[in-house]
Amino acid sequence: MTGDLLRDITQIGLVRKLGVPRIPVLRRYEPGAPLLDGPALVGVIGAGRFAEPIRALLTAAGVADAGDEGRIAAVVLDASAVRTIDELAGVQQFLTPTMRRLQPCGRVLLIAPEPDPADPEAAAVAQAFDGLVRSIGKELRAGATANLLVTTAETDPAALDPSVRFFLSARSAYVDGQVVHVGPPVGRAVDPAAAGDPAPADEPLSGRVALVTGAARGIGAAVAETLARDGATVVAIDVPAAGDALAKVANEIGGTALQLDITAPDAPQRIVAHLEERHGRVDVVVHNAGITRDKLLANMTADRWNAVLAVNLRAQLAINAALGEVLSDTARIVCVASTSGIAGNRGQTNYAASKAGVIGMVRALAPQLAPRGVTINAVAPGFIETEMTAKMPVATREAGRRINSLRQGGLPVDVAETIAWLARADNGGVTGQVVRVCGQSWLGA
Amino acid sequence: MALGLLYAKAAATALGPRSSTLPDTVVRRIAAIDRAHLAAYARLCGFRFGDAVPVPYLHVLGFPQQIELMATRAFPFALPGLVHVRNTGTAHRPVDAAERLSIAVHAERLRSHPKGAQVDLVTEIDVAGERVYDGRSTYLARGASAPLAEADPPGPQPFEDGPPTATWHLDAGLGRRYARISGDVNPIHLSPLAAKAFGFPRTIAHGMYTAARALASLDGRLSGALTWDVKFGKPLLLPSVVQLRTAPTGDGWAIDVRSEQAVHLTATVSEARSG
Amino acid sequence: MTSVRRAAVIGGNRIPFARSNGAYAEASNLDMLTAALDGLAARFGLAGVEVGEVAGGAVLKHSRDRDLTREAVLGSSLAPTTPAYDVAQACGTGLETVVLVANKIALGQIESGIAAGVDSASDAPVALNDDLRRVLMKLNGAKNLQQRIAALAGLRPGQIVPELPRNAEPRTGLSMGEHAAITALEWGITREEQDELAVASHRNLAAAYDRGFFDDLVTPFLGLSRDSTLRADTSVEKLAKLKPVFGTRGKNAAAATMTAGNSTPLTDGAATVLLGSDEWAAERRLPVLAHVVDAQTAAVDFVHGEDGLLTAPVFAMPKLLARNGLTFADIDFFEIHEAFASTVLATLKAWEDPAFAEERLGLDAPLGPIDRSKLNVTGSSLATGHPFAATGGRITATLAKLLHEKGPGSKGVISICAAGGQGVVALLEGA
Repeated sequence: MTGDLLRDITQIGLVRKLGVPRIPVLRRYEPGAPLLDGPALVGVIGAGRFAEPIRALLTAAGVADAGDEGRIAAVVLDASAVRTIDELAGVQQFLTPTMRRLQPCGRVLLIAPEPDPADPEAAAVAQAFDGLVRSIGKELRAGATANLLVTTAETDPAALDPSVRFFLSARSAYVDGQVVHVGPPVGRAVDPAAAGDPAPADEPLSGRVALVTGAARGIGAAVAETLARDGATVVAIDVPAAGDALAKVANEIGGTALQLDITAPDAPQRIVAHLEERHGRVDVVVHNAGITRDKLLANMTADRWNAVLAVNLRAQLAINAALGEVLSDTARIVCVASTSGIAGNRGQTNYAASKAGVIGMVRALAPQLAPRGVTINAVAPGFIETEMTAKMPVATREAGRRINSLRQGGLPVDVAETIAWLARADNGGVTGQVVRVCGQSWLGA
Repeated sequence: MALGLLYAKAAATALGPRSSTLPDTVVRRIAAIDRAHLAAYARLCGFRFGDAVPVPYLHVLGFPQQIELMATRAFPFALPGLVHVRNTGTAHRPVDAAERLSIAVHAERLRSHPKGAQVDLVTEIDVAGERVYDGRSTYLARGASAPLAEADPPGPQPFEDGPPTATWHLDAGLGRRYARISGDVNPIHLSPLAAKAFGFPRTIAHGMYTAARALASLDGRLSGALTWDVKFGKPLLLPSVVQLRTAPTGDGWAIDVRSEQAVHLTATVSEARSG
Repeated sequence: MTSVRRAAVIGGNRIPFARSNGAYAEASNLDMLTAALDGLAARFGLAGVEVGEVAGGAVLKHSRDRDLTREAVLGSSLAPTTPAYDVAQACGTGLETVVLVANKIALGQIESGIAAGVDSASDAPVALNDDLRRVLMKLNGAKNLQQRIAALAGLRPGQIVPELPRNAEPRTGLSMGEHAAITALEWGITREEQDELAVASHRNLAAAYDRGFFDDLVTPFLGLSRDSTLRADTSVEKLAKLKPVFGTRGKNAAAATMTAGNSTPLTDGAATVLLGSDEWAAERRLPVLAHVVDAQTAAVDFVHGEDGLLTAPVFAMPKLLARNGLTFADIDFFEIHEAFASTVLATLKAWEDPAFAEERLGLDAPLGPIDRSKLNVTGSSLATGHPFAATGGRITATLAKLLHEKGPGSKGVISICAAGGQGVVALLEGA
């Protein structure tokens, strides 16, 4: 629920008759809800290896095959074997008839190959999917989204499962126009027989220990609640002054509260000592704590600059450096960046620099952590309805809400769901990525 | 007291010409919570006083705006005599007493009812752009008419007999005490004479007091994000001895308050559903 | 001596202490105690968990708060099946609850427990005038009109005056401050050394907050995140300007030394301590900061005897040390509750005095001076304030953390004086 008055007004029949386009109410995940609220269509071009396992996944999840007629909740096209412009035409021919059949909050998910540098045409065609999916995202209406998974033919289809589930489900309500590369899972190959029972479908994070910074309110509180809902035991961190709100979050999710200022010199050691003592490890680390101290660069002071860089970037680096052995061998680190760090934002030189820095850190650490089985990714929220965005001037806020393909702001839970997907033990194939939760904002690539 | 004046004004205009449709006014205000007032409310209704705001208090915060809206001539019914029959609300997250609240109240769903006409007063509370509370208070104007028929969902029902959770001894002055805190100075709660004028033998308890006290009995067992649905039954005359009963349901609690004579309130409360 | 297991101090939580009629003016004991329990539950993952018991109490208690601690448990996120009871021993209440819970754990009767204390000087009970109360009780018991009229005939206008709570000893009629002033005079405690002790308390507390020491001991409440009595910038010069408030009457008025700056103000607050067996802590992967080794309570005849109201710890401490074969040289931290700066200083002087040791304590030699750098190193009641029953919990959790920082085998003692001429002391050992 948000205070989006315009969205609410456009639900009224009379207002719609006046020709005002309806701002969609997005379908969001509830525990126990089916993967899709309608049938799905799964297609394949050429020798794609992913369509069959995806069909099996959907069947197991109780999703019906859409056939040639009627509404569809999702279209999945395995185009991973497409290498020529002629084959690309097949993609258009398959997708075009599905567009008008897509129901509200429908899903379009394409699987494309990684570019082959040895074959200029194949490389061109692989890149073509970027433009194609982003344009589909902008054409879709009524809360529907389009996203792209890029992978190689060698990747075990099982590596795609968590991503397919996420992008088809209501959990990805505000993730649109995104390109995610899925590779072979990081770390040593795990024998499925030795891996023990898989996590239950409605508690994919069962048994995992998660650390969330900035958890007392806003996006951080939503992350803590969502990870706990998915089965994780959550250690919620925030500054001591926010301790009362933090205690409430922790008690409601049966987690624990750890009051500390993450910028204190001994904070990383205290966090690691706490994790070692209380849990012996950590499986999920969510670097969410962040602050803004907006000023035009012309008026920027060193205090404002340094405060933002210290919380938003330096603390993440210091904690990551200290985690060491306490990270489990399926650990997932998720760093909250921002679309401001991608597109830039007037008055936010310090904030945008810190958030762009987070993306740089993620890209540098991903290959370093991969041999240990650890992934690190960034989630870049766009316009999310929080206390921070509410401080904006009305016109800026209203503009921020509308300039995206879904024509509304996202909710903290949308960011949290995306983090929960990246936090899964079985999601070892996604690392070093930046996933925007922005409803396909017009700002930024 | 400002609300007292509004009541007086409403009473004075009760017989004049009235609109036949709902005003499209939205009454808005920004409110900071007065901790002393919150403490007094918590003490009277049995809530623990702290940083977390009890959910029924969010209704109390929007109540002056409900009166402001209903006291105007643009509102189709005269305020005196309106009966509060149902109250639902969802707190999407716990609200902290330090937060600044934007409270907006509007009226909607004017509809006919076998006994007259009903209208909903909707209270929406945002904190810095984030919706934290949606409340809906349904009022019945006996004998009035409305063009549209629209059925309401049946609402919480009394449940199978079980032992009472608590017995409440409600004294004759309760209506005045709750009126002082809630601002609901409807005369039927204040003086036996006024109550008689509206057809009640004695003063009657505020439904929202009874509902709040029932919810307070579950303090510590509920999260701050919850949905509650309260249906008011027979008026609860003061003084009275009544019994509260609570029973766990799948995702929350069923509640009723009854005396030997009648069921005064039935309610359900559950974890808030987002969306 | 059969060896019993020792109870572990796992951690604590308190709300910041507030000067009375300040941030918590509208909060009741029940509100504050529940908030402190909820913060403890959050810190140690106890939401929905049944612990062995919760022992708590308040010195100033309304009659409606008959089972205050149990009511707080019911309103908290702890499992509603957690038993609880109230304890009262004036300012010794908080430490006494620690001892009670620790003893039950040591005996194997429970595996875990919470010791708690709370007090509000803002929401203190105002009693009916005693005569009026008797009339009303008679009226309540009256069976017919005749008896009712007879009861009402006992009413007098003067009975309407309520009885305000007084910080006075029932048997002497003197306030605690007046009693302390007598002791200060007896032991020749100077104004300067009292003010120095007060300044050290404020500075130590401020420094501890600044280094994050209280990050895992305190949870904010009602907008307050540090103790409101704390004055980090106070100095001996500033305190020297204050006028004496106790001992200002009678023949020794000119020698009065006790001011608002070197006495604790009336305060509101609550504190909790989580205790458990080592096994219970290990099972839940909770830290063990320290163990409760031993405790001793003493009482003095301050009414007809020669001892001061707040001097009982002077007698309790040598017994505790002797039983454990320790001397002051073995102790790493001394936590002496600062009811008044003069109380702490008089206690120290008594322990240093050879004649007192021989005549009153029955010792060959005095306990000796203590190293002041080991005294109240993170501040004490002069800076935090002193919500009576909450002080024991505050000090226990603080000392346990200090001992844990110092390392295994380190030792610390707690000394708390209480009204009624009582005193509780305890020995903790770092884990």
